Amino acid sequence: MAGAVAKIPSLINTALSEARPKFAIFMKYAKVELAPPKLNEIPQIKAGISKLLSSFKSGAWKQQTVKQATLNTLVGAEVLFWFYVGECIGKRHIVGYNV
Amino acid sequence: MSELPFGPPVRVSPLIRFGRWSFLTAGILYGAFHQNRLSKKETKIREIEAKEKVIRDEKIKKEKAIAAAAEMKNLEEMINKKN
Repeated sequence: MAGAVAKIPSLINTALSEARPKFAIFMKYAKVELAPPKLNEIPQIKAGISKLLSSFKSGAWKQQTVKQATLNTLVGAEVLFWFYVGECIGKRHIVGYNV
Repeated sequence: MSELPFGPPVRVSPLIRFGRWSFLTAGILYGAFHQNRLSKKETKIREIEAKEKVIRDEKIKKEKAIAAAAEMKNLEEMINKKN
């Protein structure tokens, strides 16, 4: 038991030294893939929104393959789930409202 | 690239990134607003509960006193019968 307790600091150190390069790789990808949209990308965003709306109006969204529809649904769900992440941050509690 | 083991990063569409960030900020604002609203509501309920507790405690105290008196009376009667 005492030996196991004495091992804990070295375990933490190895875990940290293992995780650090992986975290650096994660940050390199995140800086590109999770970056907030830039101001010069606004026209692209507008074009994307109008494309979405026009595909809804014309009914083109019914003409997708099942694979495309599945992927689009998953991407939409991922985007939507950011709202709930934000809600948890806003209410400063994970489950329910801490009143 | 040796530093990027999974190939070059994907160019995520600006619409998706815009959606993520706007939903995230909307969620933060929504969560903060409702936290504020619900905690205000709950403090009001707590105040009312505290007022009611005083009344309830007094009522229970009186009831207990009455019950104890009745019990003592019963006991006395029982003892008197035996004698």
